[in-house]
Amino acid sequence: MLKKKYASVLVAASLVALALGAGVPSSQAASKTIQVYISADTNIQDLWVKTLVPAFKADNPGYDVNVTFDLHGDHDAQETAKLTAAFALHKDAGADLIDGGFVQQLGSSGVLYKATAALVPNIADVGRTVLAAGKGGIPYRASSVLLAYNSTTVPNPPKTLDALLAWIKAHPGKFTYNVPSGGGSGYAFVQTVVDKYMSAADRKTLALSANKDLQSKWAPGLAMLRSLNKYTYGQNGTYPANNAETLKDLATGLVDMASVWSDQFASAVKAGTMPSNIKVTQIANPTFTGGAAYLGIPRTSKNLESAQLLANWVLSPAAQNLIVSGTLNGMPVIPVSKLDPTVGAGLKGVDVANLRPTYLSANSNDLKSAWASAVPGK
Amino acid sequence: MASEKTDVVAESLLVKTTPRLSALGFFMALPPMLLVICFVGLPILIAFTFSLGFTTGPNRVVSIIGQEIHKKDHWWGTFGAYKDVFHDSRFPGDLRTTLLVTFMATVLVLIMALGIGIYQRMIGGRLAGVMTTLTLVPLFVPVVIASWAIHTFYAGDGFMRTLFSHFGINFPTLTSTVSAIIIGTIWTSLPFAILMVTSGLQSIPDALIETAQDAGAGFFRIIRTVLVPLAITPIVIAGTFTAIGIMGSFTIPLFLGPNQPTMLGVEIANFFGAYNRPQQSIVMAFVVFAAASGIALVYIWANVRSAKQSGRI
Repeated sequence: MLKKKYASVLVAASLVALALGAGVPSSQAASKTIQVYISADTNIQDLWVKTLVPAFKADNPGYDVNVTFDLHGDHDAQETAKLTAAFALHKDAGADLIDGGFVQQLGSSGVLYKATAALVPNIADVGRTVLAAGKGGIPYRASSVLLAYNSTTVPNPPKTLDALLAWIKAHPGKFTYNVPSGGGSGYAFVQTVVDKYMSAADRKTLALSANKDLQSKWAPGLAMLRSLNKYTYGQNGTYPANNAETLKDLATGLVDMASVWSDQFASAVKAGTMPSNIKVTQIANPTFTGGAAYLGIPRTSKNLESAQLLANWVLSPAAQNLIVSGTLNGMPVIPVSKLDPTVGAGLKGVDVANLRPTYLSANSNDLKSAWASAVPGK
Repeated sequence: MASEKTDVVAESLLVKTTPRLSALGFFMALPPMLLVICFVGLPILIAFTFSLGFTTGPNRVVSIIGQEIHKKDHWWGTFGAYKDVFHDSRFPGDLRTTLLVTFMATVLVLIMALGIGIYQRMIGGRLAGVMTTLTLVPLFVPVVIASWAIHTFYAGDGFMRTLFSHFGINFPTLTSTVSAIIIGTIWTSLPFAILMVTSGLQSIPDALIETAQDAGAGFFRIIRTVLVPLAITPIVIAGTFTAIGIMGSFTIPLFLGPNQPTMLGVEIANFFGAYNRPQQSIVMAFVVFAAASGIALVYIWANVRSAKQSGRI
């Protein structure tokens, strides 16, 4: 009888232990399995899972890459918290290489190994401006937001932001951009309109440091965006939820013009989901934003050497060729002259260093919130 | 006689095995209790202290990373984050939308569930059985897929507009409206309400309905004075569960609702993720929590009422 009682206690206790312990990953020794954490849209997931990882494994037999993917960066705040906490407690956070919008933030708070030629030798090929903007992150690909237009209905697309705004008002219901918090292409349109009313110096400050005082200068831009509510698709101040919905609205002909990511647009064209009469162009005064995407190696990584190997490989001409020519259609961070000539042919005049930068995340978070307060449904 | 015998047996079993059974029962109940305390209760408590500006201990990391963090300035904390939320121009619209959707959708769901339930109880037959089964289909369709289907159905280039344009009618675009949220939430909430309400109505004895019929009561009189009063407890429970579920919904308002004002579930996610304001998002969560507690009171009232009727208290 007594035995049975103890047995049931034991069972219950082990159940509790199991419940409590299930979430704790066992600590891993340095291994040849590299944990990569990606926070992005599905095109970046495809880039890693279908293109980069198989090629890396072919070039480096014996190594394995385990990709953890967070769609649209929904858990960026939690992942940042997790990595920062792990750094403070000297614990392994379970990630050896990170690709996400928050890498610069982690870099500036010292959670990452600094991107230098000592860490990643191939970084010598990357431009200084791009490297500096990373705040310690390793730039590995770039993309820009462009204006997509239906060449059948819009033979002469606007060349400047002012011309674009005039076009939107002249063609009610034919332009859209997605909610800035839902995707970067809509965000770029919002920041570009807001930037129109700010000096170059102010724009630069907001790109490099958190600044509440300068944010008050967003008011005229937000008022302009609010005045567009009557003219954008729906004509009632509602906007698509994310990048993919914007592309869908363009492809189905609901709108004639929208802001899109260069790489997502190129992928859609290649996949046949974007009709051939939809074209892209860049506007001027100011241009839409763009920039490099950064990788980070957390100081908590137990697998530094393997992570270095992968990061260095991603910056090699072979991998950069894949980023440009694969399904992603991204922009390289190394000089075009180092790429395969056939791959580099489509990139004439592209210089990653000239892309207009996005605000620092603290400011861009506030801009997303300010837009939601001031624009939709008003 | 037979039942008396079993009662005696059961009683003696209870007496004999009480210590062992109660220990076993206690340990069986322990895992869910511990789970709720550790993974729900404690985080709620910690989040509450964070909303009041306690930024040390378990809240240290989130307060380093978050923006617009208010640190406590009294021994009990600060209401800074609460002031932020209540003065935010988005909040009244969001709260109104949340309450409106919850109320409208719950009322409509209950009316529809009663309709099906009464039809099956009063008329019955093969058709009623088929209809009840069909209404349970949404239970097996994931919410994400259902909301996307509803989106493509009512969108600017969706089925309804395409169909009506063939007849020269301009059907309104329902996506990005509160109506679309209500349609979506009804779709997802209906099966559970129907299950609850029909089972409640089924348990009413035929004799009562037949007696009412013999006494000359008409169809609607039977519904009003016999069916609904006798099934009121399951109806109220169905209503409270539906309302609490709708109040916290996220996927449907995200896909189908307007960008602004939206339901608090979506706004909480926006504040937590996109705007990186964890403290304010927790304040909103507590507002939803308070509203849901109000609904929970109705649920408790219904349970107490049914317990009293059956003589348990």
